[in-house]
Amino acid sequence: MRALADWQKLQVNKMYKQAHYDEDFLNSFNTGNDFYLEEVEDRYPDSIKRKRLKLPDVRSVDVSRHFTRLSEMNYSVDIGMYPLGSCTMKFNPKYADYVAALPGFQNVHPLESESRIQGTLEVMYRLQQLLIKISGMDYASLQPSAGAHGEFTGILIVRKFFEVNGQLGNRDEIIIPDSAHGTNPASAAMVGFKVVEVPSNDNGLVDIEALKAAVNPRTAAFMITNPNTLGIFDDQILEIAEIIHNNGSLLYYDGANFNAILGITTPGIMGFDIVHFNLHKTFATPHGGGGPGAGPVAVKSYLREYLPVPVVVLENGKYSLYYNLKNTIGKVSSYNGSFGVILRAYAYALKNGNNLSLNARRAVMNSNYMAKKLSKSFEIPYKSLKKHEFVLSTSRTGRKALDISKFILDYGIHSPTTYFPLIVKEAMMIEPTESVTLKDMDYYIDVMEKSLEVPEDTIKSSPVNTSVGRIDEIAAARNLILKWPDSCENS
Amino acid sequence: MAVKMTETDEILQYLNIKNDEELFADIPQKLRVSLDLGLPMDEFSLITSIEKSCSNNVSPAMNFLGNGIYDRFIPPLVDEIIGRNEFLTSYTPYQPEISQGILHSLFEYQSVISDLTQMDVTNSSMYDGFTALAEAVRMAYRINGKEEVLVPENIYRSQLSIIQNYVIGLNLKIIKYKFGKDGLIDMEDLKSKISDHTSSIIVANPNLFGLIDENAFTVSEFKKEALLITYYDPVSLGLIKSPGEYGTDIAVAEGQQLGIHMNYGGPLLGLFSFRKEYVHRSPGRLIGLSKDNSGRKAFVMTLQAREQHIRRSRAMSNICSNQALLAVASLAYLSILGSNGMKKLALITMNKSIKLKKELYNAGINTVFKGINFSDNLFYFDGQEKLIRSNISGGIKLSELSDYPGYKNSAFFSVTEKTSDESISRLAKITGE
Repeated sequence: MRALADWQKLQVNKMYKQAHYDEDFLNSFNTGNDFYLEEVEDRYPDSIKRKRLKLPDVRSVDVSRHFTRLSEMNYSVDIGMYPLGSCTMKFNPKYADYVAALPGFQNVHPLESESRIQGTLEVMYRLQQLLIKISGMDYASLQPSAGAHGEFTGILIVRKFFEVNGQLGNRDEIIIPDSAHGTNPASAAMVGFKVVEVPSNDNGLVDIEALKAAVNPRTAAFMITNPNTLGIFDDQILEIAEIIHNNGSLLYYDGANFNAILGITTPGIMGFDIVHFNLHKTFATPHGGGGPGAGPVAVKSYLREYLPVPVVVLENGKYSLYYNLKNTIGKVSSYNGSFGVILRAYAYALKNGNNLSLNARRAVMNSNYMAKKLSKSFEIPYKSLKKHEFVLSTSRTGRKALDISKFILDYGIHSPTTYFPLIVKEAMMIEPTESVTLKDMDYYIDVMEKSLEVPEDTIKSSPVNTSVGRIDEIAAARNLILKWPDSCENS
Repeated sequence: MAVKMTETDEILQYLNIKNDEELFADIPQKLRVSLDLGLPMDEFSLITSIEKSCSNNVSPAMNFLGNGIYDRFIPPLVDEIIGRNEFLTSYTPYQPEISQGILHSLFEYQSVISDLTQMDVTNSSMYDGFTALAEAVRMAYRINGKEEVLVPENIYRSQLSIIQNYVIGLNLKIIKYKFGKDGLIDMEDLKSKISDHTSSIIVANPNLFGLIDENAFTVSEFKKEALLITYYDPVSLGLIKSPGEYGTDIAVAEGQQLGIHMNYGGPLLGLFSFRKEYVHRSPGRLIGLSKDNSGRKAFVMTLQAREQHIRRSRAMSNICSNQALLAVASLAYLSILGSNGMKKLALITMNKSIKLKKELYNAGINTVFKGINFSDNLFYFDGQEKLIRSNISGGIKLSELSDYPGYKNSAFFSVTEKTSDESISRLAKITGE
């Protein structure tokens, strides 16, 4: 009998097969709706009525089966390792889901009077205080709905700050490193700022000379994340803060990578003025296949008056909503924040307490472990000491990051973030988080290494064990189909 | 006998370091902090502690709150579906081959909202109704570059504030148009304000007084080159004319009523639909249908070149995380109720409004307007202390929500299918005393 190659053994040992159903669209089931509501009188004029309504016409059992089958065609962090860099896919604890489903919290209307929602406000106030402590800031708002929305809120604060100080016309630029998340320049531009990119130096850090050259009287703020998207802590941060502050500009902290530093250092002590958090990353709230997230913002005391309103305050043992901030930017969300997410994050923070920093430490250990092991087979540019994530390049392996990312899916693991950050060619950005075991990591590393050994046609034809094979993305964009056939056109 | 090494010992040994402190050698000591974040808790104590916080909330005896967020019945199947961990604990589907479940669901969400609104295209969700409205104004500006947006004079203060924040970097002027004594759009005033400079016109239907606004149906006839943005109530579309039927260019709404718990107003669901010719100028994520390498139906995130991770400062929006899970909830809800269920739900809601108006009238409390209400009803009412005494939620003053100059002593009472006839009668009795 012919001996199996090593990579084939792995395949044999770790069978993964995702379900595939040729699932019809809900509007083609036509099994007859069985949701009962009593007959009701209709005495309204036709002039206000629609001509046609065509929603799916299905029984509840079909709805249930449809989504159960679809769910079997979806990978999740409850199934296995999901090390998307900068996404912090850690385990989402079920106690958080449990408390989030308490009817006393779920059934609260946002316009309910403060006296009836002291419990809701208590949770919000306590999370605000926790975030303030964790970030080394002085005040916080829980209102923004996602990380990018937090950035938008923070940059609105920057703008209002210069407006109030009579410098708005002169401060119209925001500086961003070339390694930044795409949301940073997008958020800055949304608020009307011109985006100036500065290159990273040979260590993957901010090039101080380039920063000095970019900083000028028009600079409103510098937006960075530390550790950066390469997973490297920028130890020049105090010098950077000095350069920015000496110029009269503000320093913005993108909190996407907070899981690396929680309990170890704070944006406050690093000299930042504004911070946003991603509760769905650092605080383990489930990301729901794309959202919801939550993006609270915290600021130093001199920016308190600019926060969105209301903020939750505690006076004489009573919680209330405080609106009277002199320079407030106003509102960024319909109501006061994504409470369902806030509550889960609060549960996570309260449960872990002082162990939160142990989670950060384990996350950093795991990242360095994987980086060192993978550095035998892959180039890992920039300095070797990593924080919570690292970026490898597949350039010198002769394999494309895209191909490797598809190959590893066949082994029941999710791929890293690919082709980001933009400054690394054929990039794969890996963030294991504290939730993975040594066995998980060794298996992942094994699969990554095997991806370099398999025959070219094997890797090009992967994945084969997922519910579908490689998808023609160009066709999807060229021949846009954005809804099911037989839709209820207005004709 | 050798002591078994822990996982962390093994990692440290492999990294050839004594303790994890060495991994933080790049964070200078002067930046280090020692935070007291409290003692860790066991799960039972944690849950007990949070249940105690929850017990500090007081449920109202009756709830007449609305104005955008409504206490509707949610079939348990909806929570069951979005509670499945395969959906709940997945990330944005960056690897589509292994994420077809959420992609297929979001594609169906786009489809069902397009059917409900009779609009060409729906994106795969925005944060909430008000940010969706503000993004619509930005999108209209990207499309025609004109410098004025017309908004209803009774617009909620929070809606207006969000729009102002979203257009702060654009050269856009916000102009309010008036309402007539009947509570409907003052068409003469609106017409007089539409010009070649108008980028977009926002109409709400039901309007922000709670009335089905028939005047909104005709705005597209004289909107010139402006885009018509309709802010609708998704449950009302079970019966009422759809935004697509009256020439809407961008239709937006709050989707909370479609199977999402109120949760003190978040997380919510922004519904965002538009004409297909504007797709390249639209914000947010879009799921497209394609095929895999063996010809099977397969879904991907498409037109990503509009988005922040590719286009960066020139992106159509900065949206990364959206409200995917809640979009699935709304799809499940609409599928469970179906056309017939949604029509009845709209009718029940409107009939409850009629009953409420009638009973309060008999108790001496008059409606401000005579028109047809959907969920929200505006009354001449300033007896809020009676509501507090009887532990009734509702009676939100118009002046609390809007800077509208009139009807200072008026307040809203809202109904859903959950509002019982008995509670309406009790409300009438208590407020009429």
